[in-house]
Amino acid sequence: MLGASYAAVPLYRLYCQTTGLGGSAVAGHASDKIENMVPVKDRIIKISFNADVHASLQWNFRPQQTEIYVVPGETALAFYRAKNPTDKPVIGISTYNIVPFEAGQYFNKIQCFCFEEQRLNPQEEVDMPVFFYIDPEFAEDPRMIKVDLITLSYTFFEAKEGHKLPVPGYN
Amino acid sequence: MSTAMNFGTKSFQPRPPDKGSFPLDHLGECKSFKEKFMKCLHNNNFENALCRKESKEYLECRMERKLMLQEPLEKLGFGDLTSGKSEAKK
Repeated sequence: MLGASYAAVPLYRLYCQTTGLGGSAVAGHASDKIENMVPVKDRIIKISFNADVHASLQWNFRPQQTEIYVVPGETALAFYRAKNPTDKPVIGISTYNIVPFEAGQYFNKIQCFCFEEQRLNPQEEVDMPVFFYIDPEFAEDPRMIKVDLITLSYTFFEAKEGHKLPVPGYN
Repeated sequence: MSTAMNFGTKSFQPRPPDKGSFPLDHLGECKSFKEKFMKCLHNNNFENALCRKESKEYLECRMERKLMLQEPLEKLGFGDLTSGKSEAKK
């Protein structure tokens, strides 16, 4: 798996600070949507989880579950775990990918651990949650009819001061 | 899995999360709630619908310990589990 998602990284735009983007207007709209959405209970989707680290990051990073079964319109929680096995604090920053590509527009992350620097102290291990839902409109898209598996992949990179990350747009 | 040669118009654009990033639970304050949730998943063939109470409790733990912004549970999709709890109502 190592290297497969890295090859596509130059095409990502990384957002440094989530708070500056979209603002409360977007968040408010998203909350209303979540409050009013109705689960499509007969449309079960398997979400599988991948974890990668860029070669220079010495973290152990893995999902805490290989898969979870969800339905569109139902919020779901999943966990990754990261450990810094070194004797120095290490700061990482992550991005993610969704396969199949076309399902990505329906994959909504309410909150997670991506796009912001995360610091792990020496020997520290933390849980990293992802809280998400599949948009109910997924069930109405004819292109999604055969999609019953969506794979979520996170990749962590090391964020060092002065270090240039191999992703455009990272500040 | 598709090859990495999927460049061009079909590139995936990651989006930031709606509510930003979870602060790291450095002290493991909500770890027991996470364990309960993971145990539920293991016991229920990883079916999210059967472990929503546990996921709600994990998020409530975060909110109580300021590891997540306080929010009515309905806005997190747990409206069907709240049934009259005053703290969850706006």
